[in-house]
Amino acid sequence: MKTAIDVLQALILILGAPLVGGIVARMKARLQRRRGASIWRLYAEIFKLLRKEDLVPPESSVVFRMAPVLLFGATAAAAAFIPVVQPSALLGARGDFFLLVYLLAFGRFFLSLGALDGGSAFGGMGASREALISSLAEAPFLLGLVAVAILASCPDIAGIVAWTLRQSIFNISAAHILAFTSLGMVALAETGRMPVDNPTTHLELTMVHEGMVLEYSGPSLALIEWASAIKLHVMLALLIALFCPWGMARGAGSGWGMAVALLLYCGKATVLLILLSVLESAVAKLRMYLVPDFLGVASAVSALAVIFTMWVKR
Amino acid sequence: MPIGPLGVVFASLLSVLGVFVPLILTAGSGKRVRKLAVAAILAASIAGCLVAVSGLLWQPAPLLDLSWATPFPFSLAVDRLSAFFLLLVCAVAVPVTMFAVPYFDLHYSERRRHWTWAFFSLFLLSMIVVVTASTGFAFLAGWELMTLVSAGLILIEGDAPERRHSVFIYLLMMHAGAAAVATCFFLFLPYSHSLDFQALRAAGTAMPGGIRTAVFVAAFVGFGAKAGIIPLHLWLPRAHPIAPSPVSALMSGIMLKTAVYGFVRIAFDFLQGGPLWFGYVVLLAGAVSGLLGVLYAIGEHDLKRLLAYSSVENIGIIYLGLGTSLIFLSHDAPVLAALALVAALLHTFNHALFKSLLFLGAGAIASATHTVDLEELGGLQRRMPVTGTAFLIGCCSLIGLPLFNGFIGEWLTFRSFLAGSMLANTKAQIVLPLMVGVLALIGGLAAACFVKVFGVAFLGRPRSTLAESAVEVPLPMRGGMTLLAAACLLIGIFPGLLLRPLVSLAQVLIPGSGVPEETLSITRVIPWTAAIVLGTSAVVALLRRRERIARTWACGLPGLSSRMQYTSTAFSKPIRFVFARVYRPDRKVERLPADQPYFPASVSYSSVRTTSYERSLYRPFVDFIVSLAHRLRRLQTGNIQVYLLYIFLALVSLLAFLRFQR
Repeated sequence: MKTAIDVLQALILILGAPLVGGIVARMKARLQRRRGASIWRLYAEIFKLLRKEDLVPPESSVVFRMAPVLLFGATAAAAAFIPVVQPSALLGARGDFFLLVYLLAFGRFFLSLGALDGGSAFGGMGASREALISSLAEAPFLLGLVAVAILASCPDIAGIVAWTLRQSIFNISAAHILAFTSLGMVALAETGRMPVDNPTTHLELTMVHEGMVLEYSGPSLALIEWASAIKLHVMLALLIALFCPWGMARGAGSGWGMAVALLLYCGKATVLLILLSVLESAVAKLRMYLVPDFLGVASAVSALAVIFTMWVKR
Repeated sequence: MPIGPLGVVFASLLSVLGVFVPLILTAGSGKRVRKLAVAAILAASIAGCLVAVSGLLWQPAPLLDLSWATPFPFSLAVDRLSAFFLLLVCAVAVPVTMFAVPYFDLHYSERRRHWTWAFFSLFLLSMIVVVTASTGFAFLAGWELMTLVSAGLILIEGDAPERRHSVFIYLLMMHAGAAAVATCFFLFLPYSHSLDFQALRAAGTAMPGGIRTAVFVAAFVGFGAKAGIIPLHLWLPRAHPIAPSPVSALMSGIMLKTAVYGFVRIAFDFLQGGPLWFGYVVLLAGAVSGLLGVLYAIGEHDLKRLLAYSSVENIGIIYLGLGTSLIFLSHDAPVLAALALVAALLHTFNHALFKSLLFLGAGAIASATHTVDLEELGGLQRRMPVTGTAFLIGCCSLIGLPLFNGFIGEWLTFRSFLAGSMLANTKAQIVLPLMVGVLALIGGLAAACFVKVFGVAFLGRPRSTLAESAVEVPLPMRGGMTLLAAACLLIGIFPGLLLRPLVSLAQVLIPGSGVPEETLSITRVIPWTAAIVLGTSAVVALLRRRERIARTWACGLPGLSSRMQYTSTAFSKPIRFVFARVYRPDRKVERLPADQPYFPASVSYSSVRTTSYERSLYRPFVDFIVSLAHRLRRLQTGNIQVYLLYIFLALVSLLAFLRFQR
């Protein structure tokens, strides 16, 4: 039963991911006084792309073909680490958040290689910029997670969630707020949202993620789009699970409890998505060389979070 | 003393490597002799693996006492720590030897090949002696032989002035290091009365604190020079790139690890840890080496020099683990100390595998294209698929991606940092978790660096005709790389294979430590993760059914050329820009003619990255030595009477010394 729900959680994260992307796009459109596309648009697009053929540049190798596949595999596996409706996860183990972060890095590594294999200037441009951003984002990502893990005295995500569930909602410490801030900033950078990267741009001066996927088409592009949607959803679910898990079914909950937990999860996710779309509409994209400052602030905040755990813990 | 069958195997492998192979190579000539020699080296390495495995799993110690033949006590023994490093040496030696057969045939003349193989064999012997020595003298003899033979191997490709200069720096730093290592052993003497390792172990904990500190510092400096921790790494990016690739693989894969062995032997086995600051010193050295090493690696576009800097980075990661372990030891947390030590040793082994794989890959590239300059490469994956795939696996392992072996060591290091938060000491409780950020930054930058390496060298379009006409290397070369790549994947997915013996090794070194829980959980979760990642990938790979080759849109131009691709330098520019303070390049722009700055006939630009130490640390030191030498030269008048006076004065002072000493 527990394992079945764990599998279901991973499937929710994977299959629900395009919806999350669709909701953000729709809300951004509404904020910009456009009507916007349907929130189901991304499903339709993935379905459409999957039926098409792949266009492959003549100079590319097997890496170009395997990159989207491995990216998807690693990102889907990352989804198996996140608790959604109950404080446990399919692949949960002690110290699993290091594995989570490195699985995301795994996908990114292969996507960057695929971009370079295209043999055009844009792929290299995107990969080079992504290399800068992701190399600086890893430290605050892990430090933020470490801060929360130290607070909970528990080295796995599910254990942290279970610990947080036992706390009162008003018992939030400064370290929590700092960790949330830094992880939120990292989430923006990791998923390529404003102000770090503009997901809707195709201007060579600014594009990062879009530059990397420019040569991809057909099912490969579908897998990449889906994988980045999953990544957004995973980051979202991670933030919810670590900082606002209240409402999750505790222990072997009834079906009723699960339904409530799922509903609450959707509500919390919607609130975060509204925040994200307001942010994306309100701020301008940072200049390339200001992104290190942005991530530097995230690193400093997460380091402070780790230091503050000293005083908060007892 | 009965030495048992393993002792016989061990003795015969030593004599094969040290006597038989060099003798037949220098005496005989022809292809058949060389084949016999190579077969002997391979057999000896495999026999070494067997001795090591049996030493690691059970507890025999084939002690080989050769004191009857040497002026000092000289004996070799394989205890658990030695067995682990013996396994590392021999396991890497097998594929490297396989690779070296066609490599040396391709690159050297008949006569030179013989010498190369003779040195190669002696080099392996010296490293085996170093890791199995059980007296200080045996250790120092192996240590010195290792330095000299490797210098010989570097000079095999010629002795142009720059090469000689690099070898000079290498020998100089190695001997400074060896002096420190010798000091470290001799400091034990007043308390141990012999250089036998048993006696040293007994004396280690009984010595007064001051001597222990001196031993630790000497070991840290001496072995640090060999391991290449910053700022003692100066020789590393000079010596590695100019050595033949299989030799670079041995040097970077194994020789650096003998320094780790020596340090672990002294700091853990003999001294059993020490005051808290020992740990912090090692931790700091690790952090600095890791960060600067990877930053310098990103800036390079000479593949072998880049790999050399990356070795500095990985030694940094190993030292991070060792430092953490020392900190835990001084806090009386043996289980956690064992965890950090296991992390460091595992990363040592992994680094030996993937770094020798990458150096062999660089050798394969050099054989196929005659260059290791990344700016000249590109598109090699299509032309050399086996080399490319093996190299990719090496890159993934180095970065520490899950499913590859590098991840396991880094994961354990992360876990031991996190475990630091459980200590009761406030300083370590903050410092250790913060090191997670440092290691993550190192990992992130390494990922950026190796995306560049693999992407620029193997993917996209070829950037030169050399790369365009590259063909796959011969079978033994591919076989050597494939073996190493397979080992990387095997340990990456089933880490328990190596973790279990390592945990029992750590229990020997750190008394009172149990089995750290962390080593078990990784063994459980990694195979499942691998199954999900690979299973999902296999399923979605079926979604791609049809594909069509289509030319990339070139923004309206006639077509894309290789010059439109990102180069290695362009790729790393953002990171070099952000970390500009670390690089501090010397840039020179010259416009000719000088009186017409706006209409120049030619503009030349050069940018030299001299690492800041060379200018601010080594230059004044070297200048001081040289000026001292100038001053001392005044003693050398060339007048025979003056020299006789010196001898007379020395005699008188010695006699006076003896008289007043009583």
